[in-house]
Amino acid sequence: MKINDVVCPFCGCLCDDLEITVEHNRIVAVDNGCTLANAKFMSKEQLASPIRRTGEGWENISYDEAIQYTVDMLLDADRPLLYGWSGTHGEAQCIGVHVSELVGGIIDSTTSVCHGPSILAIQEVGHPGCTLGRVKNRADVVIYWGCNPLEAHPRHMSRYTTYADGYFLQNAFRERKVIVVDVRETETARVADEFIRIKEGGDYAVLSALRAIVRGKGDVVPESVAGVSRSQLERIVTLCKDAKFGAIFFGLGLTMTRGKYKNVRNAIELVDELSRHTKFTITPMRGHWNVYGSNEVFTWMTGYPYAIDFCRGIAFYNPGETSAIDLLARKECDACLIIGSDPGAHFPRGCVEHLAEIPTVVIDPVPTMTTALADVQIPVAVSGIDADGTAYRMDGVPIRVRKVIEPTLPNDREVLKSIHAKMKEAKGQ
Amino acid sequence: MTELLIRNACVIDPLNDICGEVMDIAVRDGKIVESVGSGAEVIDAGGSLTMPGGIDSHTHICGTKVNFGRYMSPEDMRAGRTARRGHMHSTSGYSVPTTYGTSYRYSAMGYTTALEGAMAPLEARHTHEEFTHTPLQDMMANTLFDGNWPIMQAIHDGDIRRAAAIVGWTLSAVKGFAIKLTNPGGTEAWGWGKDVASIRDPVPHFEVTPAEIIRAMIEANEMLNLPHSVHLHCNCLGKPGNHQCTLETFDLVPNANNKRQSLYATHVQFHSYGGSSWRDICSRSEEICRAINSKPQIVIDMGQVMFGKTTTMTADGPMEFNLYRLYHNKWSNHDVELETGSGIIPVYYSRKNLVNSIMWSIGLELALLTDNPWQCILSTDNPNGAPFVKYPEIMALLMSKRYRNEIFGTVHPDTEHNVPLAAIDRELTWNDIAIMTRGAPAKALGIEDLGKGHLGEGADADIAIYPININETDPATSAEEVIRAFGQTDYTIKRGRVVCRQGTCMVDGKNTTIWVDPHISENYSMDHDPEFAKNFDRYYTVRMSNYPVQEEYIRRNLCIETEAQL
Amino acid sequence: MKVTLEVKPRQKPYLPIEAEGIVPRTFFEGTDSLTVFRGNKELPLEEIFNVAIEGEAESVDEVEIIILGDSSRIKRVGEYMDGGRIHITGDIGMHCGNFMSAGEIVIDGNADAWLGREMRGGRIRCHGSAGDYCAAGYRGEKRGMRGGTVEVFGDAGDFTAETLAGGSVIIHGNAGDLSGVDMKEGELTIMGDTSRACANMSGGMAYVHGTVNDMIPTFRKIGQEKVNGEPYTRFSGDIANRGKGTLFIRNYKYLD
Ligand code: SF4
Ligand SMILES: [Zn+2]
Repeated sequence: MKINDVVCPFCGCLCDDLEITVEHNRIVAVDNGCTLANAKFMSKEQLASPIRRTGEGWENISYDEAIQYTVDMLLDADRPLLYGWSGTHGEAQCIGVHVSELVGGIIDSTTSVCHGPSILAIQEVGHPGCTLGRVKNRADVVIYWGCNPLEAHPRHMSRYTTYADGYFLQNAFRERKVIVVDVRETETARVADEFIRIKEGGDYAVLSALRAIVRGKGDVVPESVAGVSRSQLERIVTLCKDAKFGAIFFGLGLTMTRGKYKNVRNAIELVDELSRHTKFTITPMRGHWNVYGSNEVFTWMTGYPYAIDFCRGIAFYNPGETSAIDLLARKECDACLIIGSDPGAHFPRGCVEHLAEIPTVVIDPVPTMTTALADVQIPVAVSGIDADGTAYRMDGVPIRVRKVIEPTLPNDREVLKSIHAKMKEAKGQ
Repeated sequence: MTELLIRNACVIDPLNDICGEVMDIAVRDGKIVESVGSGAEVIDAGGSLTMPGGIDSHTHICGTKVNFGRYMSPEDMRAGRTARRGHMHSTSGYSVPTTYGTSYRYSAMGYTTALEGAMAPLEARHTHEEFTHTPLQDMMANTLFDGNWPIMQAIHDGDIRRAAAIVGWTLSAVKGFAIKLTNPGGTEAWGWGKDVASIRDPVPHFEVTPAEIIRAMIEANEMLNLPHSVHLHCNCLGKPGNHQCTLETFDLVPNANNKRQSLYATHVQFHSYGGSSWRDICSRSEEICRAINSKPQIVIDMGQVMFGKTTTMTADGPMEFNLYRLYHNKWSNHDVELETGSGIIPVYYSRKNLVNSIMWSIGLELALLTDNPWQCILSTDNPNGAPFVKYPEIMALLMSKRYRNEIFGTVHPDTEHNVPLAAIDRELTWNDIAIMTRGAPAKALGIEDLGKGHLGEGADADIAIYPININETDPATSAEEVIRAFGQTDYTIKRGRVVCRQGTCMVDGKNTTIWVDPHISENYSMDHDPEFAKNFDRYYTVRMSNYPVQEEYIRRNLCIETEAQL
Repeated sequence: MKVTLEVKPRQKPYLPIEAEGIVPRTFFEGTDSLTVFRGNKELPLEEIFNVAIEGEAESVDEVEIIILGDSSRIKRVGEYMDGGRIHITGDIGMHCGNFMSAGEIVIDGNADAWLGREMRGGRIRCHGSAGDYCAAGYRGEKRGMRGGTVEVFGDAGDFTAETLAGGSVIIHGNAGDLSGVDMKEGELTIMGDTSRACANMSGGMAYVHGTVNDMIPTFRKIGQEKVNGEPYTRFSGDIANRGKGTLFIRNYKYLD
């Protein structure tokens, strides 16, 4: 059986044109997707039942036992952390917020290790953005800054920019200028019309210089800024001002390097400045699948996009203090529930060590690096494969992901619902 | 079966011509009935003012743009936080509260129904998700068609029927309620960083004018037999001298429907400015109201500005950019492919500022100079003019000349030379206020037949009991009491259940989404239109099959099916 | 009145204690049921501290709080303080002196991040080093510290005096990256080195008596001027942000 227009559950592009072939409730072929999508759909080794660590290894336990363990763990803790969320759908994230609020814990998503700085910047100066279709149909200048879409978002260029024809650009590849800004010549840089190589840690200075030039104050700018000549900067500014519609996309090269959110703020203020001359927009290249959905859900439920501390009843937000990495590195939490992410694979060593020390439960279909740190793992259906729900694309467009095969395991929202119900019961409500 | 009896209610119910009669209200299974048995639960209202639940016919509380207002404003979020308590979730935010915060605060003020003012079809799912978490109000969504490509093309081709068919298809697909036009044509021009300068200024490339879009949509609206009229945010919002544009727009409107208005013009305060720059801006409320008084086919809402901090958010992208250049504060913009745009900036309306003082005055003038209260609905265009928690103060300002004078004495001293307010003596009555917040919005939205906005037999038992006795209180001299009473009900009852008691919400609640589904003949169905489908999949970045909002998002809903003349 | 609070050993020493109640006014007005929080658990003050109160006070300014022991994870001490004195003999946790408007806080050891956040008045003296966001603002808020003085005798972390909007900040050692970033008003003095000072500033005044590394390239050089007899370069900016701030710098290097 072929299923059309399937939504990919892997990256923030949320491509919704995949074609999946299912035989006997198994996925046998994936068409239209990139290699990352294929790998996601075709991965197999799911756990069959919840497991608990014993002295020597692991034992199978029932869902009831696993859920009870989780509830007890969270209630016993003084400052529990509920982390992850980008791999799951919005409906599960909503219940996650309810659980955090009820237990008095901290809820944070993988945002804090990718585009958290973008959010901090947006909170300072706002965000002139648009949906991806606006770029596809109109943009004649596209800038990729500190990101490498060919690797991290393989279909971004073919669906939305370089190779995507649009209403006002019948031959996008010819009519659209692509500029790449990075500290090294990436694969994406090699297919660009212009490449700007910046010295490591120099993004902020280059952005400031561009802003001054756009304002007509280029005379203050030194001959060379972080490895980029003033003449190249001036050329770029002319290109941008002459554009009918310009779009900047940026990634971890901006958010996770020296200066972090101030880099992003500077890029946004460059777009503000350019907007006085022509149309310009900026969009963060959100990575983990539904990470943007976690920000949306947390925001309407709690008022803040990530790193929300409910320990004192009211919501408190202060990334750098209430964000997962900082909490773990400083050992400021004493239990952890992880869902829809694999911090064991990405977090710094100090954080991983603390995770191993405190009681930890993982909700994830497959054994991951985080499993090695956990006391209990609860397998679940995969959002977008055997569970449906809502996900938000990197530009804020919400799409419903489908269930293409029948699940054999409960999904995230069902497991979280049970946790929530049991917790309410324990609290006498 | 559950029964409730409210005794000794002093009822104002304008749709049923009841004004201050002390009576009992019987409720069975969520509906108003003639009488109930002796086993019914009893609430003694003790002569307190009792009205149908409030209806906000234009507010921004759910969806992409609203959530972005929260997302970008942790400083606003920390300004209004409460912890989880009983049935109430924690809340955050002052001018853009979290969904629960919004829902609880509206409920405490006796509001039980609200229309989200602007939903981009492509992002409708988001609006519906937030509706789910706004449990104590029934919700509807204005759906944006101001820059819709296939519709502009159809209008350009002179094919209004096709334009209507696309509107109908979209409303059904996204579970929308009504046609919203925000700066028609302007949001598409903004796709190039431009705007339209008047209703005769053609949209770049599409070569249709705002006037043509407005007229075509009014016609399409009636072809589709929609409950509500076209809901218009006029062009040129916030620009000195824009009253001209507003008056020209009003002149476009035929009297096309004998049950209700043909055009709902929203937040008209922002569209009633004289002068040619910020230096000589003045009120033109008198001319605007003269037009309204002579055109029964138009209903407006005020868009009142109140002093203090708030956040402006609208689909009007170019207007927000102008505000940004004025205030140099943080600015967000979000264009939506093939459809519309939006912008957000925080503002502070200061009584020391002449322009802000004039704006404040104009809103009140509109309500006081519109002869027929059924034509002017109370609103702040929440949160653009002020957060909705300011409504009680607005009611007091309208009901008391004395209070108005008192506040007028605190605004910028030059205000009086630029506005007619000081010369207006009218004081609105309890009944006028009930009309402006219940009867008129229900009628304008076309939901009175669904049992909204009144307490007749068969109506939804959405009821607000305010702690005030109108026979003992003269609103002209007791502004403070009016503000206190309208600020918090004794009881807010939704579908026959007490949902809020003196500010505390008593239930988890589950709301109803009201939407429209116009039935269109096969010939005009976009589902079978190869041209529409081809362009859809070519220019949108979401496949046509993934675009419609699925049933999962409207668990409890009320679908208004209409027979389109197509 | 002298209030001595000695931190007791805790089973989970890393879990922060939130103690915004520890301000002179609380003790001046009487403290029967003062509580602090360990995560989501509300505890009597005495469970975390040995408490000793001596003497009386006629006004809040006559109250002195002395904190002894390991207070490095005690947060929000001195929040909204409006008079009196707090003397911390060791290190202090995050958010010490948030929103403080009057009085004095003296820290003998180091201070963690957000020391004196959004301060309005009064004085903080930290004899050790301060963490990131010393004398800074809150997320999304345009204006940070608005008055008073923060003086750090050791080093300060990154984003020192971010969005400074009044008052003065003096760092005797070095300051981290982006000190004075987005500042609007007020005065920042750094005796040692820093990097990318005052990026995007719109107003205010800053002195760097050491070296600014990776100097922001969008400040206009006004010329050489003498400060205390030494030659300094005077800059105005940040031009990228239509800024009108003033910078006096002893030495600087661009990242070119
Ligand atoms: S680009 Fe991203 S969303 Fe699209 S198919 Fe590849 S992994 Fe999936
Ligand atoms: Zn509006």
